[in-house]
Amino acid sequence: MTRNILSIFTFSLLVVLTACKPKYEATTPEQGEMNPTRFVMIGGGHAGGYMDDALTYEGQTNSVANILAEQFKTIGGGFFNQPYVNQSSMGVSLAGLAPFKLGYKVDCKGDTSLSPVRIAAGGDLSVLNDNLYTASNKFGNFGIPGLKLMDVSNNAYANVNPFFKRMTSSTTSSVLDNVMGVNPTFFSIFLGIEDVMDYAKSGGKNNNLPSTANFESAYSNLVQVMTANGAKGVVATIPDVTQMPYFTTIPWNGLNLDSADNQTLNNIYNPINFFFEIGSNPFMIEDPAANDFGVRQILEGELLLLSVPLDSVKCNQMGVLFPLRTEFILTLAEISTLRNQIAAYNTIIKNIAIQNNLAIVETDKFAENLKDGFVYNGISMNAKFVSGGAYSLDGIHYNAKGNALLANEFIKAINTKYKSTMHQINAGNYDATLFP
Amino acid sequence: MYSMKQIYSFYLFLVLILISTFSYSQGFQVNFQGQKQQAMGCAGTALQTDGASLFFNPGASAFAKENSVNVATTPIFANVMYIDSATNDVYRTENPVGTPFSAYGLFQLKEDGKLKLGIAAYTPFGSTVQWEKNWIGRFAITRLELKAIFIQPTISYRISDKIGVGAGFVYSTGNVNLQKDIPVQFEDGTFAKAELAGKAQGFGYNLGVQINATEKLGIGLNFRSKVQMNLDEGEATFTVPLGLDPNFPDGKFVGGLPLPQVTTLGLSYKLNDKWAFVLDINHVAWQAYDTLAFDYETNTESLLDTKSARDYKNIVAFRAGASYKVMKNLEVRFGGGYGLTPVQDGYVTPETPDGNRAYGTFGFGYELGEHFAIDASCYYTQITRADSNKETNLSGTFTTKAIAAGIGFIYKW
Repeated sequence: MTRNILSIFTFSLLVVLTACKPKYEATTPEQGEMNPTRFVMIGGGHAGGYMDDALTYEGQTNSVANILAEQFKTIGGGFFNQPYVNQSSMGVSLAGLAPFKLGYKVDCKGDTSLSPVRIAAGGDLSVLNDNLYTASNKFGNFGIPGLKLMDVSNNAYANVNPFFKRMTSSTTSSVLDNVMGVNPTFFSIFLGIEDVMDYAKSGGKNNNLPSTANFESAYSNLVQVMTANGAKGVVATIPDVTQMPYFTTIPWNGLNLDSADNQTLNNIYNPINFFFEIGSNPFMIEDPAANDFGVRQILEGELLLLSVPLDSVKCNQMGVLFPLRTEFILTLAEISTLRNQIAAYNTIIKNIAIQNNLAIVETDKFAENLKDGFVYNGISMNAKFVSGGAYSLDGIHYNAKGNALLANEFIKAINTKYKSTMHQINAGNYDATLFP
Repeated sequence: MYSMKQIYSFYLFLVLILISTFSYSQGFQVNFQGQKQQAMGCAGTALQTDGASLFFNPGASAFAKENSVNVATTPIFANVMYIDSATNDVYRTENPVGTPFSAYGLFQLKEDGKLKLGIAAYTPFGSTVQWEKNWIGRFAITRLELKAIFIQPTISYRISDKIGVGAGFVYSTGNVNLQKDIPVQFEDGTFAKAELAGKAQGFGYNLGVQINATEKLGIGLNFRSKVQMNLDEGEATFTVPLGLDPNFPDGKFVGGLPLPQVTTLGLSYKLNDKWAFVLDINHVAWQAYDTLAFDYETNTESLLDTKSARDYKNIVAFRAGASYKVMKNLEVRFGGGYGLTPVQDGYVTPETPDGNRAYGTFGFGYELGEHFAIDASCYYTQITRADSNKETNLSGTFTTKAIAAGIGFIYKW
């Protein structure tokens, strides 16, 4: 009797135990009203996977275009080719330099600290030597470091930009010619950042922001060509670049004075009406319009660029006795010019998108959210340099994790517009800053 | 002199206390303290069953008719599946089998005496949640192990034929071990890790009144106090890249976890010689769990004290069951229950992915002669909870399936 009961009990136990794992019923993503068979993306470094101030194999693999193309494959997207840097190459920057990594740096005072350092004295210039174009396997990623909207139809652009030269079908073809050679069924335009970056990175010195009229006609032409054969697409707005760590890391009032230095500076500057106190003070900057001496204290809200030579600041009185040159500063007036211009471009982008029934990714909102900070699956994300999690070590381009998060914004915008049901990707699996 | 059997029972009793490791449950409360109750929907506050009444209602223990020692264990097989709402990725727990146990000794100083002395050891709270490698919520939790054992010496007194009262003092001791990944990467891309571990202890009490209103109807009232488990000497260990070592100093931390107060009204009704019915209504004061805080001895810019809102709310649970005597020495039992979740929307975490829960149970008891009996029970539940956590923004659906199969042995004399 007891044995019978025990065996019945054991048997029923085994039956229930096998039923113990919750069941997963997978859903198949659908393409809805879009067709990702031949996908192209046009943009600058931000689209091409440029990060840590270089184009690298690793960066290209984690480009926003490539991440998107991988998800497109779940809804019928085809093979997506990129002009890869050789996997064994360290890569190369726009200026021919090696990429950044986080390493130890000894400053002029002999203090060692974690800081972005170039992984080699120079970049791998051989990356720019070969032309990688093959007619049978055309590129889908036209995220080209440095590519401006104003240059997409330029037939001589291969002679201007070696990153384009290495991928173009011919040296007399424009970027747009190349793009249309793919006969895309779905496109993404992520242009405009490079158009404002010259101005921003030069502290307003390179005054070459396109006029809104020129921007509008260029964008409108581009969309017209792209949609001529019925292709659908997604366009991205331009983020407020002044929210990038390149412009926000060095504090305007980072001049810390002890009592002796404070005394010295007051002795020097009081006669021309600048005053200092013990503790934190604004840096001294050049401003020809400020007064007869062409110097003033930087104002709260004005931005110091990451190009400031910090050793000179720490040890050679730069920003103190030798005011910081204007190329290191975005003044309030320059910031407002830049922001107004970006806002005007974004209005144009959105209007054209609406007229052409395209999906819109508001990368300006994305950058804004990063600036404010948010938590993604338990990961605190913000726009802080090195530790913020989304920007690479050049302080301008996103790292792999930032690209993955941005790719999710594209996916959301496309799903909403075209009733597709692509899944987002787990951005938590993508690299941010690697620490030694 | 003690008989061999008594010595053996006592020995088993001790061994089970010593090797106790146990684990798992939702809302981290484990309601597996008596095989008879477990088989009847985890109800039985108004029923003197066996030593397990020391936990369910020390007042009912006053009506025990003999000395008894019983031990039981209830292996829990629990699996949680998480489907992330954004990626549709699926992740699962790889929880080890939980083994909550209970051991009771209930003694009377003289035959049919009014005074009973009892000692109880049981594991009413705890869990081991182990998520699969690289799961999407790794920065919230990768593993949480809670072990706590309650030891409860108890006195019960039968005031009259109808009324019994009892009181137990509860000493609780346990271990906590919490592990998670930190979103900071080594040069090879692997993530840094945090491990917080420590010993916690707390005190409380367990009071009960049993009123046998009629031959058939019993009323039980039980009050188990809150036990604040304080962790004063926790050790925080961080595995981080060398360059960040100064930001994450290993060291002490202080934390705590409240195990909530439970008030139960129980009814029992003996229809005839064959049928008996039980009903329990629990009120669990989970509101005590409002914050999970970690206070690190050494703070840095990267390592700040944390205060995570939990904001649990008080809940009620209904449990009911029945027993049927098939023959003189065989009783079958079944039951079920429904409990509301203490976890409010926005606060569901992967360590306790709780939701409202319905469950079913069954079991049997078999008497082998005058002194020895075996009880067995089986419990099944499935819980589904979709939520978006306010702190981590983890957004998805947790589905939990749990089966607990218990067996207990009683020796009485």
